[in-house]
Amino acid sequence: MAKKNHRLNSISAGTEAVFHIIIALFALCCIIPFIFVIIISFTDEASLREIGYSFVPQAWSTYTYQFAFDKLPQIWRSFFNSIVITVVGTVLSTFMCALYSYALYRPDFRFRNFFNYLSFFTMIFPGALIPTYIISKQVLGLSENYAALIVPLLVSPFNIIVMRTFFKSSCPMELIEAATIDGAGEYSILFRIVAPIAKPGIATIALLNSLAYWNDWFQSMLYIRQNKILQPLQALLMELQNNVEYLNRMAGQMGTAAVMESMKAPTQSLRMALVVMIVLPIACAYPFFQRYIVAGLAVGSVKG
Amino acid sequence: MKKFFALLLALTMVLSLAACGSKPAEPTAAPTEAPAVDAPATEAPATEAPAPAELEPVTLKMWFHGSTVTPEASAKVMETLNPILQEKLNVTLEPIWGTWGDFDTSVTTALAGGDDVDIYFTCNWSGNEYNSYARDGYYVKLDDLLDTCAPELKAAIPEGIWDCAKTNGAEGMGIYAVPGLKDTATQNCWDVNGTLLAECGYNVDEVCAAGLDYFSAEFEEMLAAAKAKKGNDFYPLLIEPAVLERMVTHSAIVTGDLSGANVLSYYYDAEHPATDLGNAIVNKYGTDEFAAFAAKTYEYAQKGYISPSCQNPNTANDYRTACQSSGEYLFGTQSYAFGCELDFSNARGIDVRMVPETAAYMDCTSGQGAMMAISATSKNPERALMFLNLLNTDSEIMTLVNYGVEGYTYNKNDDGTITFVDEVRATYSPWTNGVGNVRILPPTAQQGTDFWTRFADYYNAAETLPYGGFVFDNSVCATESAAIANVYAEYAFNLMSGAVNPDEVLPEFLEKLNEAGMETLVNAANEQMTAYLAG
Amino acid sequence: MNPNAEKTPRLSLHQSSRFSKYKKTLALLTMVAPVTIWLILRSYLPMAGMVLAFKNYKVYPKDPTFWNNLIHSKWVGFKNFEFLFKTDAAMLAVRNTVLYNIVFIILGVIIPVALAIMMNELTKKLAAKTYQTLMFFPYFLSWVVVSYFLNAFIDAQYGMLPAMQKAAGEIPYSWYTSTKPWPYIIVFANLWKNTGYTVMLYLAAITGIDTTQYEASAIDGATKWQQIWNITIPNLRTMIAILFILNVGKIFNSDFGLFYNVPMQNGATFPVTQVIDTYIYRSFMTTHDVGMNTAAGLLQNVLGFICIITANSVVKKIDEDSSMF
Repeated sequence: MAKKNHRLNSISAGTEAVFHIIIALFALCCIIPFIFVIIISFTDEASLREIGYSFVPQAWSTYTYQFAFDKLPQIWRSFFNSIVITVVGTVLSTFMCALYSYALYRPDFRFRNFFNYLSFFTMIFPGALIPTYIISKQVLGLSENYAALIVPLLVSPFNIIVMRTFFKSSCPMELIEAATIDGAGEYSILFRIVAPIAKPGIATIALLNSLAYWNDWFQSMLYIRQNKILQPLQALLMELQNNVEYLNRMAGQMGTAAVMESMKAPTQSLRMALVVMIVLPIACAYPFFQRYIVAGLAVGSVKG
Repeated sequence: MKKFFALLLALTMVLSLAACGSKPAEPTAAPTEAPAVDAPATEAPATEAPAPAELEPVTLKMWFHGSTVTPEASAKVMETLNPILQEKLNVTLEPIWGTWGDFDTSVTTALAGGDDVDIYFTCNWSGNEYNSYARDGYYVKLDDLLDTCAPELKAAIPEGIWDCAKTNGAEGMGIYAVPGLKDTATQNCWDVNGTLLAECGYNVDEVCAAGLDYFSAEFEEMLAAAKAKKGNDFYPLLIEPAVLERMVTHSAIVTGDLSGANVLSYYYDAEHPATDLGNAIVNKYGTDEFAAFAAKTYEYAQKGYISPSCQNPNTANDYRTACQSSGEYLFGTQSYAFGCELDFSNARGIDVRMVPETAAYMDCTSGQGAMMAISATSKNPERALMFLNLLNTDSEIMTLVNYGVEGYTYNKNDDGTITFVDEVRATYSPWTNGVGNVRILPPTAQQGTDFWTRFADYYNAAETLPYGGFVFDNSVCATESAAIANVYAEYAFNLMSGAVNPDEVLPEFLEKLNEAGMETLVNAANEQMTAYLAG
Repeated sequence: MNPNAEKTPRLSLHQSSRFSKYKKTLALLTMVAPVTIWLILRSYLPMAGMVLAFKNYKVYPKDPTFWNNLIHSKWVGFKNFEFLFKTDAAMLAVRNTVLYNIVFIILGVIIPVALAIMMNELTKKLAAKTYQTLMFFPYFLSWVVVSYFLNAFIDAQYGMLPAMQKAAGEIPYSWYTSTKPWPYIIVFANLWKNTGYTVMLYLAAITGIDTTQYEASAIDGATKWQQIWNITIPNLRTMIAILFILNVGKIFNSDFGLFYNVPMQNGATFPVTQVIDTYIYRSFMTTHDVGMNTAAGLLQNVLGFICIITANSVVKKIDEDSSMF
């Protein structure tokens, strides 16, 4: 019986093979550039000069990693900062997003429409940079502290809309009504009933949030200027990258300063090594979220 | 929907009222400090500076540019610097070590937002910050303050450089920032790889003494010889396209031209830049000089003398740096700074010669190359200026800020020169020229004891261009500038690097420039120049 | 609540339900509070800064705070908007932006939905997980890094493709000075970067589908294809609609890094790579005029807003439940 069901409800072996090939090809496209980055980070600088970027360098070298770990003490601190910011930020932002989206998902919430527009509107008209900066700094005290790196990314209207959609598509209202009749409060409905059902959605939002925090460098550039010990890893990389870009752009104007400074600039392989150091940890964290997202994957075909 | 917007409107209004209402709260903090601002001025109307003990303790935030400074190194240097500053001025310095890359975004945001920074690095080349921000009122006008708070500084900097520092700011023509006394003149040179030239069988001294002519057959012959010697993958002409154009056509950057996007030319006499040729400011790309230059460059590129990597805006600098440090070039282009051939020879391990294409000249572009401005938001502009006075005239302070602490970042030699502790210096390197008067620094061992005297002699001998301290104010045609910048980005680099055929592309470029309003820009520049020279 | 209690002492059942209604609303209000406070402080208050678009921003010398500067700067009407309409180049940028976005929107629905459904059908869970992880890597790489990667293939001096041509004795193709390949490269790069992200959203939505629906249809004898068509896709409807509406709202915006970095800023590619955001950026780097920059942003937002309202009402007509509001 089960066997028959299985056959009936899954695609044929041939089709599945085709699916595998299509998806695998695309996945390969996705990973190759990163492999390339790893190769460059282990490429000897002389080889880069001689033959440029190549999958098969003339000579390998671990020099950049040694240099990064020995000579840039900031790397370890930045690592630590990135982790703190990402963990705290992800928890807070996902929690806030879940609360807000839950209220929006409730069709019987009186001010539902108002709050729906309130968040949606900011997605289209985000506050201008300078006033946001001034209010953050002067009113909220977001300057030279961890809060300055966490608070600005706490809310994403996009995530709110997506989370609401997840709630909508996975939790039928009847469940809520039943719970209300049982006398459950709103918070307990959210955390006891809705959240467990919408786990894939919440995990997705948490993943998006953690990526946003891990990848962010802009807040650091704005708010961390004196206390650079707080710089996250991505900000450190972007600083180097921006220096290179700036010197490139200004070479025609700066005279010898550009030449001398460019010689000091970090090498290609160092920049790529930093990319590797940024991507690997978060890529390792990915399966943690994936457990929830893909938990029900293939449910339709196997269980069906 | 309508209801929502009505509510939203109401909300925004209430909030902005609240915002405005909350603002007066901040100035309440100011008045308590305001007397401190006025006090020194009223107490000491005469030129003598008040004794430090009478001065209230003040913290100054100062924003540097292009720094490579780690938090530890900064703390260590400030530990030594601040007690001295407190003793002399009762000032504590809080540096913001801006890097090259964060300048555009961070500084503009901080300035526009009215941040509590006292002193900003500024200049005219990065985004014409100095002139445009002075015009919009971001910087304090210093003319009067200089006499009362910084007489030594006023005397230390030559009159010609003060003239270049004058700009048409919010409160009229005047000085809105303290110019750094650094490489204050421009001279375009060929950067010659003497080692390779000798290998190709040339007498380096003779060639260099005779000078180089971009359009001559001899020039091409040398390129061909080097290419023949080093193989097909070798590109003898290592160019920075914009510099190459200026040096070959003998044109100067018109200060206030569209920041990085230079579209204006002012031709000068290569041997005696001060000679008034009666030239006007012209559209850089519309001249015969430019056409000839572009045609020649395209020809050289076609013959394989210019690397394709030099023609890719994003990789050009990386490539150039790589080739320079490995000595893989024959001729390069260099806007000269005194003594740089020595640095280059050491860094590259080859015999680097600098062959002048033009004489050294002075104009606003070099005069405003690195400046320190006092922010309009500074609560203590006088003290900030007193600090700048000290920084630019007191060798001890300048050395501390710029080079760090003796025994930590550098060591003193017996002859008065210094030697850096390279490893530590790498963690504490403010951009030397960006800090201020570099001529009061101790020379390094490589530079030699009399380096700064020779340095000063070289720059003091530079002639001033006929239009002197002229600064073009392009804000009168901001709309045109914005459009022209995009046309420039589309064509200029490719034409100047020889990547495209000027016969096909140049006419198209000129047509688009005109459409974007180039004529308005050129006319505005000439009108302003005439007015400047008349007044 | 008290007055109610006094007024209708008899209707105790109704009263308690009303009371619980208030309690519920109150509880829900506490839930929206944190985000609301954030939105007010960091989005709505700063919106006042949008008047910059109509001002010639100057520092107010007497008390130079941002708000004072803003209030005391001169009104200039629509002058700050002029540069956007000044030249054909600006119009070309608008055209490019819209065309690219249309392609992105269409492909951005079809490909990720197809991939998500395919992945859902794979019986080997480990393989599906691995694919999904790999698909996410592009999201980690900045456009600058991507531009280096692409450069490794097509660089005129070092690139692998020109090198192959050289080896074969042909004249190497000059990628960075031609316009032809760039629309394809841009579209592919955009898909490459964003597909993993969108696939994940769709996969999560599929995972959330109530499995009893599949069970019921299986008993009715539906084939897998029928299940996909009749259950999976209809259940993805809301997510597709929402992402569609949101993307339509961004039709006048573009991924700056993609268009700025990937063609290595080479001017010869501008006819097909110049978009509104790069145009504005290049203008801003020259003029440093906050007014003009704000004006351009404001215009993009207003147009986006119009588009989003239109898209929403179209979706609403087709399927009421899937519209955003």
